[in-house]
Amino acid sequence: MDWSERRLAEGRLVPRSEALAQAAIERAVELVVSSLDVNELLDMVDLNAVLDQVDIDRVLDRIDLDRLLGRVDLNAIVKRIDVDALVEQTDIGAVLARSTSGVASDVLDVVRSQTVGLDDFIARWIGRLRRRPYTGPPGPPDRPRAEAAS
Amino acid sequence: MTARAGDALPSAPPVIRESLQGKYAGFASRFTAFAVDLGVGLGVFLLALAAISFAARVLTGSDIAWNKGDTWVIIAYAAWAFLYFAYSWAASGRTAGMALFGVRVVTGDGTDASGRRAVVRTLALPLSFLFLGLGFTGILLGDRRRALHDVIAGTACIYSWDARAARLRFLSRG
Repeated sequence: MDWSERRLAEGRLVPRSEALAQAAIERAVELVVSSLDVNELLDMVDLNAVLDQVDIDRVLDRIDLDRLLGRVDLNAIVKRIDVDALVEQTDIGAVLARSTSGVASDVLDVVRSQTVGLDDFIARWIGRLRRRPYTGPPGPPDRPRAEAAS
Repeated sequence: MTARAGDALPSAPPVIRESLQGKYAGFASRFTAFAVDLGVGLGVFLLALAAISFAARVLTGSDIAWNKGDTWVIIAYAAWAFLYFAYSWAASGRTAGMALFGVRVVTGDGTDASGRRAVVRTLALPLSFLFLGLGFTGILLGDRRRALHDVIAGTACIYSWDARAARLRFLSRG
């Protein structure tokens, strides 16, 4: 075995003809791919047939849902929901009303709401007179340290 | 779930988008609660006097004439009012009027008021009425909305109802 054959065997030297052939093939593939219409190709694929062959249960089994949910900030998602609009525009509210409210509690809600409105009205005017903007009812009281820590 | 976006709502209550629970109660809530308590207390007292008169008539055949200027009637009413307020605040932190308006008495740090504080608060309550009710100005001007009798007893009045839940119930009725 001469020097060039030994280098070929070690894979460190490619014959010139082989390098040329490789370059020609790469160029040909590039031309073929650039001439392809991928959308048309995708249209030819029957995705339903592909999906029929996918075992979704097996895929789901491989997903660690606890880990996935652990990475999701649910509080941030809930904060983005307009609960008022949701309750107002859907029957969720009706279900809530049937389950939690009677005539007496409805009247109580209205009486308390109106009185709190009056509280705010008075506090806002006092704030104007004192030139201190009213930002809502103060509180809550500071809890003792031991209780707050628990 | 069906959408009812087009439905019109009745007149809305004041916009309460947060729960008020634990926040210091305002003047109107406290004043109206106190007015209801005065009414309830007086009503129960008059009913008791009527019951005593009825019992006396049945047992002795003679009527008892109650005079509102009578010293004994005044003393009995004062004792009843003391019992009504002190017991209510000691037992649950709220009187009937306060329960109606969702207001509650707690200590300055937000814990339940003890029996001793309830008694002190009841005894100090008349002091707030002195000098044209000067003792109540703390509710309007103070950062913790405390009247004179609150300061003396080391108590505060907070909202104890969930305003946000009430708002959701209101919206759901639309």
